[in-house]
Amino acid sequence: MTETPGKEDKLIEKISSKFKIEGKVQRERRIWVATDKESLIALCNFAKGLGFEHLSAISVTDWPEEGTFELTYHLWSYLEKILLTIKTKIDRANPVIDSVVPIWNESAQIHERELHELFGVEFKGNEDLAPLFLEDWGGPPPFRKDFNWRDYVREREYDKANEREKAYWE
Amino acid sequence: MVKQATKMKRLINAIWIFNWFNSCGFTELIPLVGSRWDMERFGMIITGSPRQADVLFIAGYQTFKSIKRAQIIYEQMPDPKAVIALGACTMSGGMYWDSYNTVKRLSDYIPVNMYIPGCPPRPEAVFEACMKIFHHVGAVPPHGKKFAKSQSK
Repeated sequence: MTETPGKEDKLIEKISSKFKIEGKVQRERRIWVATDKESLIALCNFAKGLGFEHLSAISVTDWPEEGTFELTYHLWSYLEKILLTIKTKIDRANPVIDSVVPIWNESAQIHERELHELFGVEFKGNEDLAPLFLEDWGGPPPFRKDFNWRDYVREREYDKANEREKAYWE
Repeated sequence: MVKQATKMKRLINAIWIFNWFNSCGFTELIPLVGSRWDMERFGMIITGSPRQADVLFIAGYQTFKSIKRAQIIYEQMPDPKAVIALGACTMSGGMYWDSYNTVKRLSDYIPVNMYIPGCPPRPEAVFEACMKIFHHVGAVPPHGKKFAKSQSK
Protein backbone atom coordinates (compact mmCIF):
# COMPACT_ATOMS: atom_id res chain seq x y z
CA MET A 1 0.00 0.00 0.00
CA THR A 2 1.12 3.52 -0.72
CA GLU A 3 -0.62 5.03 2.32
CA THR A 4 1.60 6.47 5.00
CA PRO A 5 1.41 4.28 8.09
CA GLY A 6 -0.07 5.52 11.29
CA LYS A 7 -2.29 8.25 9.91
CA GLU A 8 -5.24 6.59 11.57
CA ASP A 9 -3.55 6.83 14.98
CA LYS A 10 -2.69 10.48 14.37
CA LEU A 11 -6.31 11.20 13.62
CA ILE A 12 -7.50 9.52 16.79
CA GLU A 13 -4.96 11.54 18.75
CA LYS A 14 -6.22 14.73 17.15
CA ILE A 15 -9.79 13.89 18.10
CA SER A 16 -9.04 12.66 21.62
CA SER A 17 -6.95 15.74 22.38
CA LYS A 18 -10.12 17.77 21.99
CA PHE A 19 -12.80 15.39 23.22
CA LYS A 20 -12.85 12.87 26.05
CA ILE A 21 -13.72 9.84 23.95
CA GLU A 22 -12.52 6.35 23.27
CA GLY A 23 -11.33 5.68 19.74
CA LYS A 24 -10.08 2.58 18.06
CA VAL A 25 -8.32 1.80 14.81
CA GLN A 26 -10.36 -1.09 13.56
CA ARG A 27 -8.12 -1.75 10.60
CA GLU A 28 -6.43 0.18 7.84
CA ARG A 29 -8.46 3.27 6.91
CA ARG A 30 -11.22 2.40 9.38
CA ILE A 31 -11.68 4.26 12.67
CA TRP A 32 -14.32 3.78 15.33
CA VAL A 33 -15.13 6.50 17.80
CA ALA A 34 -17.69 6.26 20.58
CA THR A 35 -19.20 9.34 22.12
CA ASP A 36 -22.21 10.44 24.13
CA LYS A 37 -25.14 12.26 22.65
CA GLU A 38 -24.33 15.63 24.27
CA SER A 39 -20.99 16.01 22.51
CA LEU A 40 -22.09 14.46 19.22
CA ILE A 41 -22.75 17.72 17.40
CA ALA A 42 -19.47 19.26 18.53
CA LEU A 43 -17.60 16.13 17.46
CA CYS A 44 -19.33 16.07 14.08
CA ASN A 45 -18.45 19.72 13.52
CA PHE A 46 -14.86 18.98 14.46
CA ALA A 47 -14.74 15.96 12.15
CA LYS A 48 -16.04 17.99 9.26
CA GLY A 49 -13.31 20.51 9.92
CA LEU A 50 -10.78 17.68 9.68
CA GLY A 51 -11.97 16.88 6.18
CA PHE A 52 -14.80 14.43 6.77
CA GLU A 53 -17.18 16.19 4.47
CA HIS A 54 -19.07 13.19 3.16
CA LEU A 55 -21.74 11.58 5.33
CA SER A 56 -22.28 8.19 3.71
CA ALA A 57 -24.89 6.82 6.05
CA ILE A 58 -26.60 6.99 9.39
CA SER A 59 -27.84 3.76 10.88
CA VAL A 60 -29.63 2.70 14.02
CA THR A 61 -29.07 -0.53 15.90
CA ASP A 62 -31.73 -1.60 18.33
CA TRP A 63 -30.60 -3.13 21.64
CA PRO A 64 -33.84 -3.98 23.47
CA GLU A 65 -32.12 -5.78 26.38
CA GLU A 66 -29.93 -2.75 27.06
CA GLY A 67 -32.79 -0.35 26.43
CA THR A 68 -30.78 1.69 23.95
CA PHE A 69 -30.62 2.69 20.33
CA GLU A 70 -27.12 2.88 18.93
CA LEU A 71 -26.72 5.52 16.25
CA THR A 72 -23.84 5.12 13.84
CA TYR A 73 -22.58 7.88 11.58
CA HIS A 74 -20.30 6.86 8.75
CA LEU A 75 -18.09 9.69 7.55
CA TRP A 76 -15.69 9.62 4.64
CA SER A 77 -12.75 11.90 4.08
CA TYR A 78 -11.72 12.47 0.49
CA LEU A 79 -8.41 13.93 1.69
CA GLU A 80 -7.30 11.20 4.08
CA LYS A 81 -9.30 8.37 2.50
CA ILE A 82 -10.45 7.22 5.90
CA LEU A 83 -13.88 6.04 7.00
CA LEU A 84 -14.66 7.47 10.42
CA THR A 85 -17.47 5.79 12.31
CA ILE A 86 -19.02 7.73 15.13
CA LYS A 87 -21.18 5.72 17.51
CA THR A 88 -23.49 7.07 20.13
CA LYS A 89 -26.15 5.54 22.33
CA ILE A 90 -29.49 7.04 23.22
CA ASP A 91 -32.29 5.98 25.50
CA ARG A 92 -34.75 3.65 23.84
CA ALA A 93 -37.75 4.93 25.77
CA ASN A 94 -36.99 8.54 24.88
CA PRO A 95 -35.18 8.43 21.54
CA VAL A 96 -34.36 12.09 20.99
CA ILE A 97 -31.12 13.36 19.47
CA ASP A 98 -29.90 16.54 17.84
CA SER A 99 -30.04 16.56 14.08
CA VAL A 100 -26.87 16.77 12.00
CA VAL A 101 -28.73 18.49 9.15
CA PRO A 102 -27.07 21.86 9.95
CA ILE A 103 -23.69 20.16 9.32
CA TRP A 104 -24.27 17.91 6.31
CA ASN A 105 -27.51 19.35 4.95
CA GLU A 106 -29.53 17.24 2.52
CA SER A 107 -27.44 14.08 2.71
CA ALA A 108 -28.23 13.87 6.42
CA GLN A 109 -31.84 14.87 5.96
CA ILE A 110 -32.93 11.82 4.00
CA HIS A 111 -31.21 9.39 6.38
CA GLU A 112 -32.78 10.97 9.43
CA ARG A 113 -36.16 10.94 7.79
CA GLU A 114 -35.86 7.24 7.09
CA LEU A 115 -34.69 6.41 10.62
CA HIS A 116 -37.53 8.41 12.08
CA GLU A 117 -39.93 6.36 10.00
CA LEU A 118 -38.45 2.94 10.76
CA PHE A 119 -37.27 3.31 14.36
CA GLY A 120 -39.18 6.30 15.65
CA VAL A 121 -36.04 8.25 16.55
CA GLU A 122 -36.78 11.95 16.97
CA PHE A 123 -34.18 14.22 15.36
CA LYS A 124 -34.36 17.68 16.91
CA GLY A 125 -33.76 20.33 14.28
CA ASN A 126 -34.80 18.31 11.26
CA GLU A 127 -37.79 20.06 9.82
CA ASP A 128 -39.16 17.40 7.47
CA LEU A 129 -39.55 14.00 9.11
CA ALA A 130 -42.55 12.92 7.02
CA PRO A 131 -42.70 9.18 6.28
CA LEU A 132 -41.11 7.99 3.04
CA PHE A 133 -42.95 4.74 2.46
CA LEU A 134 -45.35 4.18 5.33
CA GLU A 135 -48.19 6.49 4.50
CA ASP A 136 -51.15 6.14 6.87
CA TRP A 137 -49.13 3.82 9.09
CA GLY A 138 -50.88 3.14 12.37
CA GLY A 139 -48.57 0.60 13.95
CA PRO A 140 -45.32 0.95 15.90
CA PRO A 141 -42.08 1.73 14.05
CA PRO A 142 -41.57 -1.50 12.12
CA PHE A 143 -37.80 -1.97 12.40
CA ARG A 144 -37.80 -2.10 16.19
CA LYS A 145 -36.83 -5.52 17.44
CA ASP A 146 -39.88 -5.88 19.68
CA PHE A 147 -42.28 -5.31 16.79
CA ASN A 148 -43.72 -8.68 15.83
CA TRP A 149 -44.62 -8.05 12.23
CA ARG A 150 -46.06 -11.52 11.69
CA ASP A 151 -48.64 -11.15 14.47
CA TYR A 152 -49.39 -7.63 13.27
CA VAL A 153 -50.07 -8.87 9.72
CA ARG A 154 -52.14 -11.83 10.89
CA GLU A 155 -54.41 -9.59 12.90
CA ARG A 156 -54.87 -7.15 10.07
CA GLU A 157 -54.98 -9.33 6.96
CA TYR A 158 -56.00 -12.88 7.73
CA ASP A 159 -59.19 -14.40 9.02
CA LYS A 160 -58.78 -17.41 11.29
CA ALA A 161 -62.27 -18.65 10.50
CA ASN A 162 -61.61 -18.62 6.77
CA GLU A 163 -60.75 -22.09 5.52
CA ARG A 164 -58.30 -20.78 2.96
CA GLU A 165 -56.46 -18.52 5.38
CA LYS A 166 -56.39 -20.84 8.37
CA ALA A 167 -52.93 -22.13 7.44
CA TYR A 168 -51.38 -18.72 8.04
CA TRP A 169 -52.27 -19.03 11.72
CA GLU A 170 -50.61 -22.38 12.24
CA MET B 1 -71.63 -10.54 -19.09
CA VAL B 2 -73.10 -10.13 -22.58
CA LYS B 3 -73.41 -6.43 -22.04
CA GLN B 4 -69.82 -6.25 -20.91
CA ALA B 5 -68.68 -8.24 -23.92
CA THR B 6 -70.48 -5.84 -26.27
CA LYS B 7 -68.84 -2.97 -24.53
CA MET B 8 -65.46 -4.59 -24.79
CA LYS B 9 -65.78 -5.13 -28.52
CA ARG B 10 -64.52 -1.63 -28.81
CA LEU B 11 -61.13 -3.00 -27.85
CA ILE B 12 -61.09 -5.07 -31.00
CA ASN B 13 -57.84 -5.58 -32.85
CA ALA B 14 -55.16 -4.28 -30.58
CA ILE B 15 -54.90 -3.83 -26.88
CA TRP B 16 -52.91 -0.98 -25.50
CA ILE B 17 -51.20 -1.85 -22.30
CA PHE B 18 -50.18 0.34 -19.43
CA ASN B 19 -47.64 -1.24 -17.11
CA TRP B 20 -47.66 -0.56 -13.40
CA PHE B 21 -45.11 -2.51 -11.48
CA ASN B 22 -42.77 -1.99 -8.61
CA SER B 23 -41.24 -5.38 -8.19
CA CYS B 24 -39.85 -8.51 -9.78
CA GLY B 25 -43.17 -9.72 -11.18
CA PHE B 26 -42.37 -7.71 -14.28
CA THR B 27 -39.03 -9.35 -15.16
CA GLU B 28 -40.44 -11.80 -17.69
CA LEU B 29 -42.39 -9.04 -19.43
CA ILE B 30 -39.22 -7.36 -20.60
CA PRO B 31 -38.28 -10.14 -23.07
CA LEU B 32 -41.90 -9.99 -24.18
CA VAL B 33 -41.23 -6.62 -25.77
CA GLY B 34 -38.04 -7.80 -27.43
CA SER B 35 -37.60 -9.71 -30.65
CA ARG B 36 -37.84 -13.23 -29.27
CA TRP B 37 -41.44 -13.09 -28.05
CA ASP B 38 -42.38 -9.81 -29.75
CA MET B 39 -45.78 -8.96 -28.33
CA GLU B 40 -46.60 -6.46 -31.06
CA ARG B 41 -47.30 -9.18 -33.61
CA PHE B 42 -50.36 -10.06 -31.48
CA GLY B 43 -51.47 -6.47 -31.33
CA MET B 44 -50.26 -5.80 -27.82
CA ILE B 45 -48.79 -2.33 -27.64
CA ILE B 46 -47.33 -0.58 -24.64
CA THR B 47 -48.57 2.92 -24.12
CA GLY B 48 -46.99 5.57 -22.02
CA SER B 49 -50.10 7.01 -20.46
CA PRO B 50 -53.13 5.47 -18.77
CA ARG B 51 -55.46 7.78 -20.74
CA GLN B 52 -54.87 5.74 -23.89
CA ALA B 53 -54.68 2.34 -22.26
CA ASP B 54 -57.17 -0.53 -22.54
CA VAL B 55 -55.44 -2.96 -20.25
CA LEU B 56 -53.60 -2.35 -17.02
CA PHE B 57 -50.85 -4.78 -16.10
CA ILE B 58 -50.11 -4.83 -12.40
CA ALA B 59 -46.99 -6.87 -11.81
CA GLY B 60 -45.85 -8.15 -8.47
CA TYR B 61 -46.74 -7.03 -4.97
CA GLN B 62 -48.07 -3.57 -4.33
CA THR B 63 -47.18 -1.65 -1.23
CA PHE B 64 -49.77 0.37 0.64
CA LYS B 65 -48.21 3.46 -0.85
CA SER B 66 -48.12 2.32 -4.47
CA ILE B 67 -51.63 0.84 -4.45
CA LYS B 68 -53.04 4.35 -4.06
CA ARG B 69 -51.22 5.41 -7.22
CA ALA B 70 -52.46 2.27 -8.97
CA GLN B 71 -56.02 3.21 -8.08
CA ILE B 72 -55.53 6.67 -9.54
CA ILE B 73 -54.14 5.13 -12.73
CA TYR B 74 -57.09 2.76 -12.91
CA GLU B 75 -59.51 5.64 -12.62
CA GLN B 76 -57.72 7.57 -15.36
CA MET B 77 -58.16 4.78 -17.87
CA PRO B 78 -61.15 5.11 -20.20
CA ASP B 79 -63.86 2.44 -20.30
CA PRO B 80 -63.83 -0.35 -21.36
CA LYS B 81 -60.84 -1.45 -19.42
CA ALA B 82 -59.36 -4.62 -18.03
CA VAL B 83 -56.91 -5.26 -15.22
CA ILE B 84 -54.50 -8.17 -15.37
CA ALA B 85 -52.50 -9.03 -12.28
CA LEU B 86 -49.21 -10.84 -12.72
CA GLY B 87 -47.47 -13.06 -10.25
CA ALA B 88 -48.20 -14.98 -7.10
CA CYS B 89 -47.78 -11.89 -4.93
CA THR B 90 -50.87 -10.20 -6.33
CA MET B 91 -53.02 -13.21 -5.45
CA SER B 92 -51.96 -14.18 -1.95
CA GLY B 93 -49.01 -12.03 -1.02
CA GLY B 94 -46.65 -14.75 -2.24
CA MET B 95 -43.41 -14.80 -0.33
CA TYR B 96 -44.45 -11.52 1.28
CA TRP B 97 -47.45 -13.03 3.01
CA ASP B 98 -46.22 -11.77 6.39
CA SER B 99 -44.90 -8.42 5.26
CA TYR B 100 -46.35 -5.47 7.13
CA ASN B 101 -46.31 -3.19 4.10
CA THR B 102 -47.60 -5.11 1.09
CA VAL B 103 -51.05 -5.73 -0.29
CA LYS B 104 -52.12 -9.33 0.15
CA ARG B 105 -55.03 -9.58 -2.30
CA LEU B 106 -55.05 -7.11 -5.11
CA SER B 107 -58.76 -7.58 -5.79
CA ASP B 108 -59.49 -6.02 -2.38
CA TYR B 109 -58.28 -2.74 -3.84
CA ILE B 110 -58.80 -2.87 -7.61
CA PRO B 111 -61.29 -4.88 -9.72
CA VAL B 112 -59.00 -7.52 -11.23
CA ASN B 113 -60.21 -9.32 -14.36
CA MET B 114 -57.52 -11.94 -14.56
CA TYR B 115 -54.75 -13.28 -12.41
CA ILE B 116 -51.70 -14.85 -14.05
CA PRO B 117 -49.90 -17.23 -11.71
CA GLY B 118 -46.15 -17.56 -11.69
CA CYS B 119 -43.17 -16.18 -9.89
CA PRO B 120 -42.76 -14.37 -12.23
CA PRO B 121 -45.24 -15.49 -14.96
CA ARG B 122 -43.70 -16.79 -18.17
CA PRO B 123 -44.23 -14.79 -21.39
CA GLU B 124 -46.38 -17.61 -22.74
CA ALA B 125 -48.73 -17.22 -19.78
CA VAL B 126 -49.07 -13.52 -20.49
CA PHE B 127 -49.85 -14.30 -24.13
CA GLU B 128 -52.51 -16.74 -23.07
CA ALA B 129 -54.10 -14.16 -20.82
CA CYS B 130 -54.18 -11.61 -23.63
CA MET B 131 -55.50 -14.24 -26.02
CA LYS B 132 -58.40 -14.75 -23.61
CA ILE B 133 -59.16 -11.05 -23.82
CA PHE B 134 -59.16 -11.23 -27.62
CA HIS B 135 -61.48 -14.25 -27.50
CA HIS B 136 -63.75 -12.53 -25.06
CA VAL B 137 -64.17 -9.43 -27.19
CA GLY B 138 -64.48 -11.50 -30.35
CA ALA B 139 -61.46 -10.19 -32.18
CA VAL B 140 -60.00 -13.65 -32.59
CA PRO B 141 -62.14 -16.79 -32.55
CA PRO B 142 -61.26 -19.43 -29.98
CA HIS B 143 -59.28 -22.34 -31.37
CA GLY B 144 -61.32 -24.45 -33.84
CA LYS B 145 -64.19 -21.99 -34.05
CA LYS B 146 -65.22 -19.52 -36.67
CA PHE B 147 -65.32 -15.79 -36.12
CA ALA B 148 -68.09 -14.49 -33.96
CA LYS B 149 -71.09 -13.13 -35.85
CA SER B 150 -70.47 -9.54 -34.99
CA GLN B 151 -67.08 -9.73 -36.63
CA SER B 152 -68.46 -10.72 -40.04
CA LYS B 153 -70.17 -7.35 -40.50
